[in-house]
Amino acid sequence: MAELFSNLALGFGVAFTPINLLLCLIGALVGTLVGVLPGIGTIATVAMLLPITFGLPPVGALIMLAGIYYGAQYGGSTTSILVNIPGEATSVVTTLDGFQMAKQGRAGPALAIAAIGSFFAGCVATVLIAVLGAPLTKLALAFGPAEYFSLMVLGLIFAVVLAKGSVLKAIAMIVFGLLLSMVGSDIETGASRMAFNIPELADGLGFATVAMGVFGFAEIIRNLDAGAEMDRELVQQKITGLMPTKKDLIDSAPAIVRGTILGSILGILPGGGAVIASFAAYTFEKKIAKDPSRFGRGAIEGVASPESANNAAAQTSFIPLLTLGIPPNAVMALMVGAMTIHGIVPGPQVMQKQPDLVWGMIASMWIGNLMLIIINLPLVGIWVRLLRVPYRLMYPSIVIFCAIGIYSINNAPVDVVLAGAFGLLGYWLIKHDFEPAPLLLGMVLGPLMEENLRRALLISRGDWTVFLTRPLSATLMAIAAFLLVLAVLPSLRKKRDEVFVESET
Amino acid sequence: MSDTPSHGPGRSIMPRWVRGPQDFVGGIALMAIALFAFWASSDLQGMHGFSFGAGTAPRMFAGLLLGLGFAVMVVGVVSEGPHLATYAWRGPLFVSLSILSFAVTIRPLGLVISAFASFVISALGTPETRWKETIIVGICLTIGCSLLFPYALGLPLQLFPRFLVP
Repeated sequence: MAELFSNLALGFGVAFTPINLLLCLIGALVGTLVGVLPGIGTIATVAMLLPITFGLPPVGALIMLAGIYYGAQYGGSTTSILVNIPGEATSVVTTLDGFQMAKQGRAGPALAIAAIGSFFAGCVATVLIAVLGAPLTKLALAFGPAEYFSLMVLGLIFAVVLAKGSVLKAIAMIVFGLLLSMVGSDIETGASRMAFNIPELADGLGFATVAMGVFGFAEIIRNLDAGAEMDRELVQQKITGLMPTKKDLIDSAPAIVRGTILGSILGILPGGGAVIASFAAYTFEKKIAKDPSRFGRGAIEGVASPESANNAAAQTSFIPLLTLGIPPNAVMALMVGAMTIHGIVPGPQVMQKQPDLVWGMIASMWIGNLMLIIINLPLVGIWVRLLRVPYRLMYPSIVIFCAIGIYSINNAPVDVVLAGAFGLLGYWLIKHDFEPAPLLLGMVLGPLMEENLRRALLISRGDWTVFLTRPLSATLMAIAAFLLVLAVLPSLRKKRDEVFVESET
Repeated sequence: MSDTPSHGPGRSIMPRWVRGPQDFVGGIALMAIALFAFWASSDLQGMHGFSFGAGTAPRMFAGLLLGLGFAVMVVGVVSEGPHLATYAWRGPLFVSLSILSFAVTIRPLGLVISAFASFVISALGTPETRWKETIIVGICLTIGCSLLFPYALGLPLQLFPRFLVP
């Protein structure tokens, strides 16, 4: 316990330096700004803004990136409530009741409850990371290559089970991602693999390049399909009375708590945590409500619970990353990319060797959430005005911004061309109902998986059963197999589809 | 592997026994990617003894992808699925052209010209573009980027064409 407090104290000491506070503020603000823009989700936001953190010291860069991450989460809910367009997948359910509340002239309380819920969830999640961090790190040190490999398999299977759509296609996307990660130099022999003598490919496909292409450019192209003039039902009347009434607070308090608990649990599990958390929280609220018919007509619980859940999940998803070095979702995968650029290898060693980095980031999350709640409520008016910018002017700006961003990573024009190519690939994937998120996850885990697989087999002298004979590894593999079977079973499939259908009603 | 297939909508080009054209074509494309990867990694060393060679893992994943692509294709044959989606040409074409033009011009011509030209090209991606406002916004954005990236963020970007700067 004493250790916990000293760790948190260390973290706040790092986070409270003026420069880090400023970076946290900028990150949260910029994240919100981009998150508010419809059509750009969290992943694209983080990918787009990755280059601007390059010049910073590692702690500052991570603090700013984390700020961008939850800022974008928060910005997504603002658009959901005000214009009925979810800024990103995690706030899809927020549109259901949030927009109805806005129509009834209660946009203020809806935004406030979303912010308060997010803040509460953020506080709980921060403490949770601090509590679980150390023990999980100790567990991670007991892991050998075989265990790591099995754990990654489990993580990928989780991602598949929790993703929407076809299980088969999600697995195919993961393997495609793994294959893409093989491009570049072999870690052990240094042999150039599938690089076709292009010098820019010798180091492998840049992670940010692929992410920006598949998420940024592809999304823009797809949005243009539908016609740039997206149907935007702006809430025109002035937003008055930001503060929720006493009744609102009483109604939403238990929903916030429930959402936080659900979100925290789902966030730790690998695989699209935040998205599934908000859906699950909404469904749960609707199930236990005395009068379910209120949902979809402006029930404040329908905003409070999913918003708390997605924020809790967004933050607890840092736990597997910081303790085990395994990114549980695509955004965390981007964080790995950012850490690698700064020469940090995520995993148990980071917690021990650079405690200031880890705890500073954790503390900054709490500060960032506090900043969001203070800053953003007065800024709502500006965000609304931003949404009136027509898409025909916005998308070329985003294209240019992305292009400059990618170019500035390595000063390599080839990277920009590659991102464009991946944009087209992403567009094709969307058209064929393949999800790009598992691809990204596979791409990040690819080198780690190969390395651990090789090492495990080298230690076992080529014996493949090593994954099943070591107890920890066998357990992980068994869970993975069990999950996969469950996901394919028809009864559960139906349930799983139901959760996702909810968003379309 | 990045070019967009330009199949039209409808099932006229698909044989009748293909019940889910979207998955069918998707599966075939994945198999093609896998075969391409096999070919691309064919010059790499395989297993020696019980340790992996450079080519082992790529071929392993390519093999997996081949199998999965086949499975997706089979799903497209046996179960009812959505038709091929229609592809728009205008958005993808001009956005790609804009990205390409940025990549080609950023080195010799510098950020100012490159960013503005790309902005205008990508604006062609939708018929709703109005030229006057596009050019004004383009100029503003170019100025903004020229201040933000090289100065505020300190990235080493060249602003003006090489032949103008001594």
